[in-house]
Amino acid sequence: MTPNLQTLAPAADPDAVMQALGEVLDPELAIGVIDLGLVYDVRIAGGAVAVEMTLTTPGCPLHGSIAEAVQASLERVEGVASVDVNVVWDPPWTPDAMSERARRALGFG
Amino acid sequence: MTAPLTGADAPAPHAPLASLLAASAALAAGAVALLLHPGVLALAVPTPAFLALTHTVTLAYVGLAFAGTLQQLPPVLLVTRLAVPWLGRAALAALALGTAGVVAGFALGYQPLALAGGGALVTAALWATLVQGLLTYAHASRADAAARALLAATGYLALTVTLGFLLAAAPHAPALAALIGYPVQLHLTIGLFGAFLLGIAGAGQRLLAMFVLAKGASPVRIRALTWLVHGAVLSEVLHAFAGLPTAGLASALLFAAGGLQLWEVAALLRVRLRRKLEPSVTRYLWAHAFLMPAAALALAGRQAPAGTALLLGFVVLSVSGMQVKIASFLSWQARYAGRAAAGGGRAPLLRDMLVPGLESVTTAALAAGAALATAAVALHAQPLAAAAAALLALGAWAQLLQTAHIVFGRHVAIAARGAASRPARTEVPARRRDGPLPEEP
Repeated sequence: MTPNLQTLAPAADPDAVMQALGEVLDPELAIGVIDLGLVYDVRIAGGAVAVEMTLTTPGCPLHGSIAEAVQASLERVEGVASVDVNVVWDPPWTPDAMSERARRALGFG
Repeated sequence: MTAPLTGADAPAPHAPLASLLAASAALAAGAVALLLHPGVLALAVPTPAFLALTHTVTLAYVGLAFAGTLQQLPPVLLVTRLAVPWLGRAALAALALGTAGVVAGFALGYQPLALAGGGALVTAALWATLVQGLLTYAHASRADAAARALLAATGYLALTVTLGFLLAAAPHAPALAALIGYPVQLHLTIGLFGAFLLGIAGAGQRLLAMFVLAKGASPVRIRALTWLVHGAVLSEVLHAFAGLPTAGLASALLFAAGGLQLWEVAALLRVRLRRKLEPSVTRYLWAHAFLMPAAALALAGRQAPAGTALLLGFVVLSVSGMQVKIASFLSWQARYAGRAAAGGGRAPLLRDMLVPGLESVTTAALAAGAALATAAVALHAQPLAAAAAALLALGAWAQLLQTAHIVFGRHVAIAARGAASRPARTEVPARRRDGPLPEEP
C-alpha cells in the first residue's frame, strides 16, 4: 500500500521525507515500515510533518521503539521543524498492505 | 483509536531479562546435576534428589521464565501499561531467592528451614505476580481470550505453589495433613496443565501469531481450551477433597485441551504470512510433537513417563523457544532502540543478536534428550538416562550461551546493513521501485 501523501507549501522535500520513512526498519522482520504498509498518511505543511501509522499487531513490543525511530528519522530531514507520529489501530494492518517486495522477502506470494 | 503506548510506557526490560538469564542458568545447572546422577531419572521415584531436579525444571526454569515474561507480555496482550512495576521486580527477586531455597531444601534431604523459607518466598512472589496481573487486567480497555488464559495460568501457578507449600508442610503439621490429605495429583494437574499448558497456550497464541505474522486466528479454541482446563482442575478438586470419581473426567478434559492446543497451532501456521520459520519458533513447534506421546502414555497408565514427556518435551521446549525470542526483543529494546532511532541502519536486527547454529543444537539436543528421558523413565534404564542427561545438558548449555550472548554479547548489524544500504527502499509514490529486499535467511 502506498501511503497517502499530502503536501501544503512544504519546507522539506517530500521525497526526502518518504526516503527517511523508508529507512526505518522493523528490527524483527528487517523490512522498512513503508514496505510493510505500516504508514497510512504523511502530511507535510511547511516544516511540520504529521505521520499516521500502525503496527502489525496491537501492543507490539517494539511499538514505542518504532514510533520513536520514525520520529527521529524525520527530524533529521532538512527543513523539517516538527514531527507528529500518531499510531492508530483503525484501520487495522492487514497483509494486503505489504509491498510485493516485502511479501517476497517473507517468502509469501 | 486506542491511545498508543509510548516508549516511556514500555516496561523496563532489565528485570525480565535477568529472570530469563537466571532461568537458563538454572536449567543448565540442573542438567549437569542430572548428568552426575542419571539414576535419579531412571528410578523416577520422589526421592529428595528427584524432587530437587523436578523443582529445578518447574520452578527455577519454567517458573522464572514465566514470571519474567509476565513483566513484559501483559502490556502486549492487553495494550496497556504494566501495573505497579516495582511489585513485579520484587516478586522476581523473591521468586529467584525462594526457588533456590526450595531446590536446596530438597537436595539437602528435606531441610525444613530451607523448604519453609523458600516455599514462603515463592508463594508470596507468585501471589504478588497474580495481583499485578489482575491490576493490569483491570485497567485494560481490551482483553481477549489469550490474555484471560494467561491470567488464569498465573492464578494456577500461584495456586500450585501454595498447594506444594502446604504439601511440604503437612508432615510437620498433623492438623494440616488431616485437613488437606495428600493431593499430589491435584498439585501436578494444576501445575502442568493449569499453569503450564494454559500459559503456553495463552502466551503462545499471541506470540506465535506475532512471530509468523498469522492473521485471522479464531479466539474460540483458546477460550474452549481455557474452560476445559478449568473443568479438569475442578474435577481433580472434587476427586481430591470430596472423593468423587471424577479423576477420569479430568484426564478426558485434559486430552481434549491438548488436542485443541495442537489444532490452534496448526491453524495459526496455516494462515501465516512468514513462510520461513525462525529456529526458535521451530523449537516451539517441535514441543507440540510431545503432546500425543504423552497422552498415549497416560492412556496406557504410564503416568511417570507421560509426565516426563509433557514436562521435558512439551513444556521445556515451548518455553525455550519462546524465551529466545522474548530475550532478543527485550535486549534489543534495552541496548539498540536508541541507536535505531539515531539512524536505522546502524542498529542490529533481532536475528543479528543470535549465535548462528546454537539454536539448532538447542532444539536437537533438548528434543532428543526429552525423548530419551521419557524412554528412560518408562524402561527404568540407566544407560538411556545417562544419554538423556548428556543431551539435555548440551541443549541447556547451548541455550544458556545463546541467552547470555543475547544479553551481553557484541552484536553486529549484518542484516541491517545489507537491507539499509540498498538505495531507495521506500515506495515513494510512482517514482522509485527497486530490486528485491533480502529474503529471510
